[in-house]
Amino acid sequence: MITSYRPELIATARDLEELKTLANVGADAITIGHQSFGLRVTGDFELDEIRRATTFLHRSNKKVYIVMNAIFHNKDLVELPTYIKQLIEIEVDGIICGDPSIFPILDEIDLSIPVFWNPETLSTNYETLKFWQSKGIKRAILSNELALDAIIDIKNEVKIPVEIQVHGMTCIFQSKRKLVTNYYNHIQDSYSRDKRLHLKQFNEAESNYPVFEDCNGTHIMSNEDLCMIENLQPILDAGIDSIRINGMFKSRSYNQAIVTLYREAIDLFLTDRYQYNSFNYLNSLRQRIASIQPEDRLLDTGFYFKEQIY
Amino acid sequence: MTTRQNRKPELLAPAGNLEKLKFAIHYGADAVYIGGKQFGLRAKAGNFSFEDMREGVEFANRYGAKVYVAANIIAHNENLNGAQEYFKSLYDIGIAAVIIADPALITACREGAPDLEIHISTQASIANWRTVQFWKNEGIPRVVLAREVSLEEIKEMKEKVDIEIEAFIHGAMCISYSGRCVLSNHMTSRDANRGGCAQSCRWNYDLFEDGTDGSINISEKADEAYTMSSQDLSMVEHLPDILELGVDSLKIEGRMKSIHYVATVVNVYRKIIDTYFDDPENYKLDQAWVDEIWKAAQRSLTTAFYYDEPTEKDQLFGKPDRIPKYDFAGLVLDYDEGTQIATIQQRNSFKVGDEIEFFGPNFYHFKQTIDEIWDEQGIQVDIARHPMMITKVKVKQPVRYYDMMRKRK
Repeated sequence: MITSYRPELIATARDLEELKTLANVGADAITIGHQSFGLRVTGDFELDEIRRATTFLHRSNKKVYIVMNAIFHNKDLVELPTYIKQLIEIEVDGIICGDPSIFPILDEIDLSIPVFWNPETLSTNYETLKFWQSKGIKRAILSNELALDAIIDIKNEVKIPVEIQVHGMTCIFQSKRKLVTNYYNHIQDSYSRDKRLHLKQFNEAESNYPVFEDCNGTHIMSNEDLCMIENLQPILDAGIDSIRINGMFKSRSYNQAIVTLYREAIDLFLTDRYQYNSFNYLNSLRQRIASIQPEDRLLDTGFYFKEQIY
Repeated sequence: MTTRQNRKPELLAPAGNLEKLKFAIHYGADAVYIGGKQFGLRAKAGNFSFEDMREGVEFANRYGAKVYVAANIIAHNENLNGAQEYFKSLYDIGIAAVIIADPALITACREGAPDLEIHISTQASIANWRTVQFWKNEGIPRVVLAREVSLEEIKEMKEKVDIEIEAFIHGAMCISYSGRCVLSNHMTSRDANRGGCAQSCRWNYDLFEDGTDGSINISEKADEAYTMSSQDLSMVEHLPDILELGVDSLKIEGRMKSIHYVATVVNVYRKIIDTYFDDPENYKLDQAWVDEIWKAAQRSLTTAFYYDEPTEKDQLFGKPDRIPKYDFAGLVLDYDEGTQIATIQQRNSFKVGDEIEFFGPNFYHFKQTIDEIWDEQGIQVDIARHPMMITKVKVKQPVRYYDMMRKRK
């Protein structure tokens, strides 16, 4: 076992204030972006805010990644080269992409920046990631619908760092259509994007699937919040390089508490795994999360320990 | 600038099994796409054994048609076993191309069958010309576009990248970006991207507005369930718009659909393409083609993203639209010119007095009433009730093997 191993803890931020808070309580890197380029950002960061975020994080030896993994259409390509050049000039630490257009664009502007690969549902096996590695990606961000065993196999097979989500809601659907607006139009009511909405599935008691629209279309989020804080051992034993907390639709205080807890749990595991694995400690983690978890958001372990059929 | 295209595009039809393949090709498809027993997304379609594929390719070759195999799953590690050998077998059988979404299978195909042509599936959501260019640079000869692109965007792709473009012209659609939906995985543990899609998008939901004082059930208040079901795509009334872009392959969706659907839809688009290219300047839409398409329609029809972004009018809410449904009543096996009697294999029950319609390739059609039916022994019967029974029916116009008889449900 490599003793210097220390996984990177990544958080999302809605604005500069949250970015600073989460970095201060233990996030090693923050993912930010703008909905014009990235999918499901927690808040829109303009370039000058990205610059300030980068300066702040670099001063404390932390990283900033820019999410720009939208499914681009022709018109989106117009702004992209300039945007990327500006990000390179700001010296962000990586861009998170999921559309293959990024490769010819980088060739064309003849500049380089670490590309992290996040096509959401499509990052599901090591041969796929080896393919993208041969195109130059520097990090593999895996799909959420994978079993932990599969993640470990991927980690063992690919040479680039691997990132997975460990906490928060996950996206389970994206349409280019305005499905919420369409529905409100159909029932002759009006929808404003400030409204918080969720869907309940008829056959699933108490289900709660958040749904929203932005310039990328309609997004539906998971019924449960992923929570792996009690199951860090297999993830860290596998040497997963980066673990991510998604703070979407959560309060500032919740996100701050969650990042704090994960920081503490990771550090404890790395220094004293027996203590981390003790009944008392895992129990206390569970209780501390339960005390801040919103009532309408159940916790689970996603697909990490689940079988799927097809 | 609109350049008049003088090369006919390929008409590409779905074939869920060997029989559908034969009908699709006989009714005018230039190529069909099928699924094998592995690596394809339609787990519930009949799908082809290698033996069936061999027969399918042989049949297609007689018509100068091609057979493609969809290997469009998004694989997990364990699904990759045997992929190289699978592609080698497809190549040896004479499959013209494979349709792939997951780059892992591109790698496997290149190792197992370096000369087998690869098309990138619509599941990869190719929606801009730089991505098209990326695949061109990878040596891919053809991309199937995302269903979210407009005709205007296709035009720009065609202008900027020299590559074959395949686009859907007819059929059911994902309401999500294809491949970017895991509703089924989350709601039923069935992996949509490996062929297990439970079509959760078409289910009914309640939509709630969440306020500080709790949630309001908007759907209950409006007495209208929230749903995300799309109408089906059809370019039947607008085909020249897509023909003029120089799209190389026009694709019909529906490997799960019936023989009647495949034959009817292929027949119409074959007719439209041929009519247009015979005399583009004087092309005029014939209402009969539109009427014919509706006989195979299962939902209302839309042009989806081709002209404008779809609205609520392109979705299905409430009770399904009432569309007259037609059954495939019988298949013509033979015809005796002297007696004007057709030998018909029963596919759905029909009886004396039924109003039926015969149709065949080249948009051949006529309607009649069933006056008399004889069974195989020559005994007169009132009704042909047994599946696949051989009957004789007196017909008003000549028919041929492979012509079909349909009846309103």
